[in-house]
Amino acid sequence: MRPNHPTEVSRRQVLGAAGASLASLVMPSQAFAQQGGRRVLVIAATQDIPNFDPHIATGYSASFLLRNVYDSLVRVEGNPPKPVPSLGSSWTATPDGRSYTFKLNTLAKFQNGKAVTADDVVYSFKRAIRLNKGNAWMIQGVVGPDSVTAVDASTVRFNLLKPFAAFLQVLPWIWVVSKSDVEANAGADDGQAYLRTQVAGSGAFKVRRAEAGNLYEIERVADSWHKGGGNLTGVIWRIVRETASQRLLMQRGEAHIAVDLTSEDMDALKDKPGVVRVIEPEYRTFSIKLNTRNGPMADLDLRKAVSYATNYKGILDAAGYADLMIGPLPSGILGHNPQLAAYRTDMAKAKEHLAKSKYPNGGIKLTFVYVTGLEQQRRFGLVMLDSLKQLNIELDIKPMIWPDMVAACASPQTFPDLFPVYQTANYGDPDNIAFAAYHSSRNGNWQNAVYANPEVDALIERGRTEADEGKRVAIYRDMQQKVMADAPDIFGVLEKRKLALRDNVKGFSFVPVASNAIECFGLSLS
Amino acid sequence: MTAALSARREAWRRAVYRFGRSGLSVTGLVLVLLLLFLSVFGPWLAPYPEHITGSISTAARFGAPSAKHWFGTNEMGQDVLSLVLGGARVSVLAGLAVVLLGAAVGTVVGAVAGYAGGWTDELLMRLSDLKLTIPGLFLAMAVAAALGPGIVNMVIAIALSWWPGYARLVRGEVMAKKEELFVTAARAVGAGPGRIVFRHILPNVMTPVIVKMSLDMGFAILTVASLGFIGIGVKPPMPEWGLLLSVARSYMPDFWWTAIFPGLAIFLAVFGFNLLGDGLRDVFDPRSKR
Amino acid sequence: MIQFLLRRLLLTIPVLLGLTALVFVIARLLPGDPVALAAGPNATAADIAAYAREFGMDRPLWVQYLSYLGGLLRGDFGVSIFTRRPVIEDLAAYLPATLELVVAAMTLAMLVGIPAGLWAAAQRDRWPDYLSRVVALGAISMPRFFLGLVLQLVFAMAMGWLPLGGRFPITEDLPLRVTGFLTLDALIAGDGHAFKVACQHLLMPALAMSLSPLATLMRMMRASTLEVLQQDYVLTERALGLPQRLILLKYVARNAVSSTLTVTGLYFGWLLGGTVLVETIFDWPGLGLYATKAVVTQDFMPIIGVTLVIGTLFVAANLVIDLLYGVINPKVRQP
Repeated sequence: MRPNHPTEVSRRQVLGAAGASLASLVMPSQAFAQQGGRRVLVIAATQDIPNFDPHIATGYSASFLLRNVYDSLVRVEGNPPKPVPSLGSSWTATPDGRSYTFKLNTLAKFQNGKAVTADDVVYSFKRAIRLNKGNAWMIQGVVGPDSVTAVDASTVRFNLLKPFAAFLQVLPWIWVVSKSDVEANAGADDGQAYLRTQVAGSGAFKVRRAEAGNLYEIERVADSWHKGGGNLTGVIWRIVRETASQRLLMQRGEAHIAVDLTSEDMDALKDKPGVVRVIEPEYRTFSIKLNTRNGPMADLDLRKAVSYATNYKGILDAAGYADLMIGPLPSGILGHNPQLAAYRTDMAKAKEHLAKSKYPNGGIKLTFVYVTGLEQQRRFGLVMLDSLKQLNIELDIKPMIWPDMVAACASPQTFPDLFPVYQTANYGDPDNIAFAAYHSSRNGNWQNAVYANPEVDALIERGRTEADEGKRVAIYRDMQQKVMADAPDIFGVLEKRKLALRDNVKGFSFVPVASNAIECFGLSLS
Repeated sequence: MTAALSARREAWRRAVYRFGRSGLSVTGLVLVLLLLFLSVFGPWLAPYPEHITGSISTAARFGAPSAKHWFGTNEMGQDVLSLVLGGARVSVLAGLAVVLLGAAVGTVVGAVAGYAGGWTDELLMRLSDLKLTIPGLFLAMAVAAALGPGIVNMVIAIALSWWPGYARLVRGEVMAKKEELFVTAARAVGAGPGRIVFRHILPNVMTPVIVKMSLDMGFAILTVASLGFIGIGVKPPMPEWGLLLSVARSYMPDFWWTAIFPGLAIFLAVFGFNLLGDGLRDVFDPRSKR
Repeated sequence: MIQFLLRRLLLTIPVLLGLTALVFVIARLLPGDPVALAAGPNATAADIAAYAREFGMDRPLWVQYLSYLGGLLRGDFGVSIFTRRPVIEDLAAYLPATLELVVAAMTLAMLVGIPAGLWAAAQRDRWPDYLSRVVALGAISMPRFFLGLVLQLVFAMAMGWLPLGGRFPITEDLPLRVTGFLTLDALIAGDGHAFKVACQHLLMPALAMSLSPLATLMRMMRASTLEVLQQDYVLTERALGLPQRLILLKYVARNAVSSTLTVTGLYFGWLLGGTVLVETIFDWPGLGLYATKAVVTQDFMPIIGVTLVIGTLFVAANLVIDLLYGVINPKVRQP
C-alpha cells in the first residue's frame, strides 16, 4: 500500500482553493451602497478638471466645480434663465444701463471664515481682467480695471465702459475669490499656481479629494452661509471616458447623473427602471464654418450650392435628439426669427448655383477637418462627403487634434475649407453667439476665423448696447437676414441637451444654460 | 549541376508534403488565400460598394443582421459586411507594406553589420537596441502622430519599430555564412563586398527571413488595427478594422454587430497568418522542435 | 557575479543617456508649436514669448537638454505644457496602475500557462496537445482590445458579475498608499474587502493582457518539458529508481523559471507599450492613456518622461532577468 503522497492531497486542496477564490471573485457586484450616513451624488462625465482657478479655467467640468465651491454676484436659474441673487442680495441699475450697484449679502463668508466684502469682489474682477483668460472675454470691453469700485464694505458699483444688455447674464461666470488668501499666495504669477489646486471660495462645497484623470470629490461645508439646500453630504465627479460606460453605470445605479450621453445612449435608456431622461432644447449650435476668404469657398455661389446640396435629413438622423438650425442663432433665443428662409436640401437650386460659380462642373477637392474622437463631427463629415459627391466635389476628411485646429484658424490661408464647431451660449442672450461667431473682431479665433462683413458687425454692435428689447429684436432679425445671404456656414443642428438621472435624485430643474455643469446645492438623494 | 537541381526539387517536394500533412497549416493557408482574395476582389464582392468610399444611408441606421444586410448596418446606415470586406484590402496591404519595408530596411542594416563587423556592427546593433527599448506600439504611435494622419505615414511609423528584428536575424545569418567556402571563393575571384553580400550571401539567408516575414504578417495586421483603434493613422471614410471597432465600442451591447464582425475579421486574419507562419517554420526551420 | 552586474550596469548608462538624447531631439523637432497652442488663441506675440521663457524653450537645444538632465537628477521631469502640472506627479499617479496591470497579467500567464504547458507535454501528440497548439495560436492572434471588449460585454454588461471598469469603487476610500498597487496595499492594510474589490476590478483587464504571454509560455513549457523528458540524465535517474514526479519537479521547475524569465523578457516591453489598448476599454487610469494623450497633443515633457520611464523599466527588467538567468544557469555567467 503506497502511503498517501503529500503532493496528491495538496493538489486537490490547491484546486479547491483556486475554485473557491475564483467563485468569490465573480459574486454579483453589490448594489450601489452608501457608507455610513453619507449621501454622495455621483456624476459621470468625460471631461477632466485640470485647473481650479476660477479666472483661468473653462469648460463644463470646470464650471461644475467652480459654481459649487465658489460664488458669484448672481446665479442663473429657471427656464428661460434669469439672474437671481447670490453674493449680491439686491441690485439697482441706471436706465441707460451704464451703471450697476450691488448690495452684498452680509451673511456671506468664505470657507476660511472671513466675510465676503466689496474688496474681494473688486479684487476678483480686477484679477480676471488682468489675467485675461477663462471667462474674461464675456466682460471684455464692458468692464475695465477701473470700472469696479467698492463703495463701502458691502456695496459694489460697476461703471461700465459701454452699456451691455447681457451684463447680469454674464455675472454668474465671474467668481469671487478671497483677496486675502490669494494675495498671501500670489507668488510670481498672480496666484495661478496656488489657485490651480487650492480653493479660496465661499461656496457650499469644498474639495475633498482630487485625482487627476479619475475623479474629484467635493463635500458640504459644515457652517456655510448657504442655508437650506438638499441633503447631499458630498458629490463625486467621476471621469468615465466612454459614454456607453456612463450609460451602463446609470443603469446599475453606480452613477446618479450622466452628462455626456449620446442619442443612442438615450434610446437605450428609454424604459430602464429607475432612470429619468432629460432631453431639452438648449442654446447650442453645431455648424460648419466655411472659408469665406481663401480657397474655392470664397465663391458665394459655391457656398450656396453646397448649402443647398447638404443632406440635412442625414445630419438630423445622425444627430438623433436635435432640431435643424434655422439660421445663425439658436431657436428660442431672444431675437431669433423662426420664419427665416433656411437652406434645405434642394439639388436643383444647388446645381443652379454651382453653374454660376467658378466651378460649374465641380471637379475640385475640399478639406474638412474635425476633432479626433469627436463622433458627431465625424458623422457630419461623412454626411458632407456624401452630399458633395452629388456636385462632383471630393471631400478630404482629416482628423486633427483641437490645438492644431485652433492654430489653423490664425489666418485665411491656413484655415481649411470646412471647419465644424459647437457654439454654446454661456448666457441666454443672442449677443453671446452673434458676437462670438459673426463679429470680425473674433477673426483668427476658432469661433469665427475668417468671416467679416462690416454691415453685420455694425448690427451686432448696436444689438449689444441697445437697451430697448423691441429694438434689439429688430436689429437681430436684420442681422440674421444678412448672415444668411452670405452663407458663411453650413447651418446644422441644435443638439438637445441629453442628461440621465436616477429617480432618487430630487430637486433637479433644467436650465438651458450650462446644464451639464451640475449645481449641487439644491439636490437631494432619497 | 543536375544533381544539385534535383536535390533542391526533392527537398522542396518533401517540404510541401510535410506542410500538407498538418491540418492546421493547411487551414492557415486557406484562410490567408481567402484573405488575399478578398483584399483584391473585396470591393467588387461587396453588396454595397459605395459605402466603402463613404456613402451613407441614414434612414437605415443600426439595422440588425438581416437578409438585406448580413452583418447589419452601422450608425450611418452603411452595410457592415461591405465595410469589413473593404477593410480587408486596407489591412492586408498595410500589413504587407509594413513587413516588406521593415524586412528591407532590416536586411540591409543587418547584412552590412554582419559582413562589415567591427565598429560598424557595434554601432548598428546599439542603434537597433535603442529602438528596442521603446515599446513598438508606443514608438509607432509617436511617429504616426508626428507625421500626421494617413496610411502611408502609419506604415512608415510601424515599420520603424519592426526593422531591428530583421537586422538581428540577418546579421546572425550573414556572420555565419561569411566564413563559408563559397564566400572565400568569390573573394578570391575578386568580387567586392557589395557583390558578395547581395549576390551570394543574401540569397542563402532568405529562407529564415521569409519565414519570419510570414510569421510577422499577422502581427503587422494586428499593429495596424491597434493604431486604428487608438485613432492614429487612419482617416474616414477608410473602413480600417481597428477604426471600425473603436467607433463601434460606444454602441455595445445593443448594436453588437457593429463591433463583433470587424473584431472577428481581425482575429481570423491574424490567426490565418499565424497558422501559416507556424506551419512554414516547422517545414523550413529544422532547428525548432515540434 | 559582481563583475557581471557592474558590467551590465555600466553598459546601461550610455543606453539610457542615448535614449534621453534621442527622444529629446525628436520631441523638439516635432512639427507644431505647443507653446503657441498652450498660450491660447488670444495670445499675442509677447504672450507666446513669455510662455516660451517660462518653459525655457527660448534657449538653444543643447542648453535645454543639459538643463533637462540636471532636472532629472533632482527628480524633476519637467512640466506638462498643457496641464501645467509636474510630469513627475502624473508619472507617480499613473505608473503604479499600469505596473499592477502588467504584473497581474504576467501572474495570470504563469498560473495558467505553466500547468497547461506541462499537461500538453504529458499528452504529447494526442488530441489535447493538438488542441493546445490551436488554442495557443488563437490566443496570440486575438487582439487585446477585442478580447477586452468581449469580456466586458459578457461579464460586465450581460451578466453583471464584474465591474465595468476603473480600479476601485469610487465611493469607497482607497487603502493607504504604500506601493501604489491597490491589491498589495489592501493586503498590507489587512483589508480583505478592499483586496477582493481591487481584484474584481483587475481581473478582466489583466486577463485580456495575459493571453499572449500565456500562450507563449504554454508552448515554451511544453517544448522544454519534452526536451527534458528525453534527456539522458533523466533516464539515468529513472533507472536509479527516483520517482518520476520528483525528477519532473526538479528539472521542470527549473525550466519553468527559465521559460517564465524568457517570456517576461520578451513580453515586458510589449505589455508596457500596449496597455493603452486595454486601459481605454476598462477606464484604467494608467500610463498608456496618459502617454497616448501626450503623444496626440505633442506635449514634450510627458512624452520624454514616459519614454524614459518605460525605457528604464525595460532595461532594468532585462538586467534582472539576465541576472536571474545567471543564477539558475551558471554557464551563462561567463562573459
